[in-house]
Amino acid sequence: MSGTERELRESQMVLGLEEEVVGATIPDEGLGLRAAPGKEPQTPAEWAKANLFSGPFNSVVTIVAGFVSAWTLYQLFKYVFISADWTILKVNARSYMTGRWPLEQMWRIWLCIYGIGLLAGIARGVLPLRFAISRRRVAGLVPVLGFALLVELYVVDTLLVHALLAGVVAVIGIGVWIGCTFGSAIKGKALLYAWIAAFPLVILVLRFFGGVSERLWGGFMVNLIVAVVAIVASFPIGVLLALGRRGSLPIIRLFSVNVIEIVRGAPLYTLLIFGVFVLPLMLPPGIGKPPNIILAMIVFTLFSSVYVAEIVRGGLQGVHEGQYEAARALGLPVRKIMRLVILPQALRSTIPAMISHFISLFKDTSLLATIAILELLRQARRASAALGFAGKSLEALLPAALLFWIVAFSMARWSQRLEKRLGVGER
Amino acid sequence: MSAVAPTKPPLWRDVRALRVAGQILFAIAVVLVAREIWLNLAYNLQKIGVELGFGFLDRRAGFGIGEGITYSPNDTYRDALLVGLVNTLRVAAPGLVAASLLGLIVGVGRLSPNWLVRKMAQVYVEALRNTPVLMVIVILYVGVILPLPPIGGGFSIPGLFFLSNRGSAVSTVRPEPAFLPWLGFVLVAGAVAWAVWRWRTQVNERTGEPHHRVLYALPAFFVVAVLGGVVVGGPLRLDIATLAEGGFNYEGGFNLSPEYFAVFFGLVLYTSAFIAEIIRGSIQAVSKGQKEAAEAMGLTPFQQLRFVVLPQAMRIAIPPLNSQYLNLTKNSTLGVIVGFPDLGNVAKTAINQSGGASYQIVLILVGSYLVLSLTISFFMNLINRAVTRKGAR
Repeated sequence: MSGTERELRESQMVLGLEEEVVGATIPDEGLGLRAAPGKEPQTPAEWAKANLFSGPFNSVVTIVAGFVSAWTLYQLFKYVFISADWTILKVNARSYMTGRWPLEQMWRIWLCIYGIGLLAGIARGVLPLRFAISRRRVAGLVPVLGFALLVELYVVDTLLVHALLAGVVAVIGIGVWIGCTFGSAIKGKALLYAWIAAFPLVILVLRFFGGVSERLWGGFMVNLIVAVVAIVASFPIGVLLALGRRGSLPIIRLFSVNVIEIVRGAPLYTLLIFGVFVLPLMLPPGIGKPPNIILAMIVFTLFSSVYVAEIVRGGLQGVHEGQYEAARALGLPVRKIMRLVILPQALRSTIPAMISHFISLFKDTSLLATIAILELLRQARRASAALGFAGKSLEALLPAALLFWIVAFSMARWSQRLEKRLGVGER
Repeated sequence: MSAVAPTKPPLWRDVRALRVAGQILFAIAVVLVAREIWLNLAYNLQKIGVELGFGFLDRRAGFGIGEGITYSPNDTYRDALLVGLVNTLRVAAPGLVAASLLGLIVGVGRLSPNWLVRKMAQVYVEALRNTPVLMVIVILYVGVILPLPPIGGGFSIPGLFFLSNRGSAVSTVRPEPAFLPWLGFVLVAGAVAWAVWRWRTQVNERTGEPHHRVLYALPAFFVVAVLGGVVVGGPLRLDIATLAEGGFNYEGGFNLSPEYFAVFFGLVLYTSAFIAEIIRGSIQAVSKGQKEAAEAMGLTPFQQLRFVVLPQAMRIAIPPLNSQYLNLTKNSTLGVIVGFPDLGNVAKTAINQSGGASYQIVLILVGSYLVLSLTISFFMNLINRAVTRKGAR
């Protein structure tokens, strides 16, 4: 895509011209015959006849499935609102999020949340990824927000935390306003650099200048931090491995292929055992054993790198041969061919795959529980082991599972929309 | 060609020379780093008094393993790791089959003309796909399996099947000494069944009569196999599951622990969600005209799926399926969270027990999983070749 084309496309996206195309949901089409395009609007009865009772077999299936799903929903509601006792969540909410993080240091985490919230808001405002406010989407959001509010009111019991949480929403709103108002003044590049700088800044604020030792880190925070550290650190390594594997230098190719295949063939748990038991022994004597969380970050980075390498390799293979040839014909040196011609195209097409890799990496951070790091899953199991909560394991685990699910699911949805917006696959 | 004779560039600007030199430097750097790591490892292991070799494999392990093939703490580390490997296979092999079947059902359900079925399949997929598999296993364990009734009052069909929070016991058949010669008869039975199958196919092709291949071949197989069993004299014996004296355990039969259940069903449910998406994607990738043509020929919806759409979808589905199968096998290590003694779990115990034979055991682990992965990929490649050749375009 040429520069002007790209600018045109982006400006269109800023103006929301593509909103219609993107906002339109592709219907879930069944195997059966569908109505021809341009179909008339249906009455509910017609719709039910076409989709639920189109034949005797279908009607029986609908009735059976209806009973099964109604029964499941009933049991679920009964469990959540009547039989379950959520005190365990109320008591442990803070340790779910931050583990044993000291209360007087909590401001560091809030500072980071506010900073990231503002940045996210601005990005949302500047970038063309504004959500279209359709009636359907609002109708879908209302119960979700209502549920979130309900949970917040149940779990949080100090005024300060209520205020701080409301502040987060406000800060994101301010960010969006700034982004929308000064959107044209804020360069996309500046925003990118701000994000890149935000990452070490967060670590700096949390850990250094009187911060909290990583031995006390825990809860959901650890899941997020390890996932982000791994993905950020593994990106350059993965790109290098992919280039090495695709390149024409036999020794480097051999090295890349071996690293990629060996790490990919090993289960993550095995790599974590390696990280905890073997990696410290490989360090020069006198350094001492680094804390498990650092070892875990190294392992996750290594693990993620090879998957990133395979994704980038796929992207590189998707770049047309003619692009190499054209760039070479222009007399560009290899480094510039890669940096200016090949990689931008290859990386753009890998964005959806990268996001889904990030989602699975994020889910995999629950494996930290197996090496005695108090991340969310282990924190939840610990909570149910405490005195007075015997038999409440499910109540302890389900909110943790829901938290993982919400993050993973919303990222997946966002990625689907991004994919359509970027028009990956079309060129 | 230019008239000017090409001048050779000096060595330090010659791309070919630079490439060779760069690679040699890279190789030297890798070797140096590897040597440094090895020296550190050797030094550190010596300091904590651990031998560098694999001699520990023949020493007494000294730790118990909850379930699996016969093993006692007096056996060697080698035996212990073998028990772990067999347990891994016990989860992975049936898990692959179950996850595929469930995934196929849900995947087809995702495309059902029935709105309700479609939505249910979608909820199933989205719920499982976005939850960590470790979480799925733990929730199944503490939320479904441990709350089962205690061993006395569990579900049971006496003499056949027991299920409680101590796992389950199923009556089964066990091989007798005459089993091996009988296997020969089974092979013969297979050959006979195959011949009958071929014969019916030919009859069908020649005359157009219904072939009834299954109806003919299955009885043929069983008749020969049972006759063989009578000839060798009882190759199998019945092993009936019962409640043990005192009612705290099961005796006889095929025993499955609660941990096994949690890992097995956790992996199957989680993986089936991904397989369902693969199936759905591959079915949608089959050209619509194929299905319409099948419909025009008067095939029933099931026949359209079975003979036209699925065979073509298979071709698209196999490479991503392969990677899901590898994932399931690798994820079987996550049984560690509920204490299932798979290879990874046994290995971790062995590292602690042996006082730190860590790098050796990690090497064995990585090697074992590489072999498992390569085996699965090998078979998937065979299948892939078979399905692509069949429909040569």
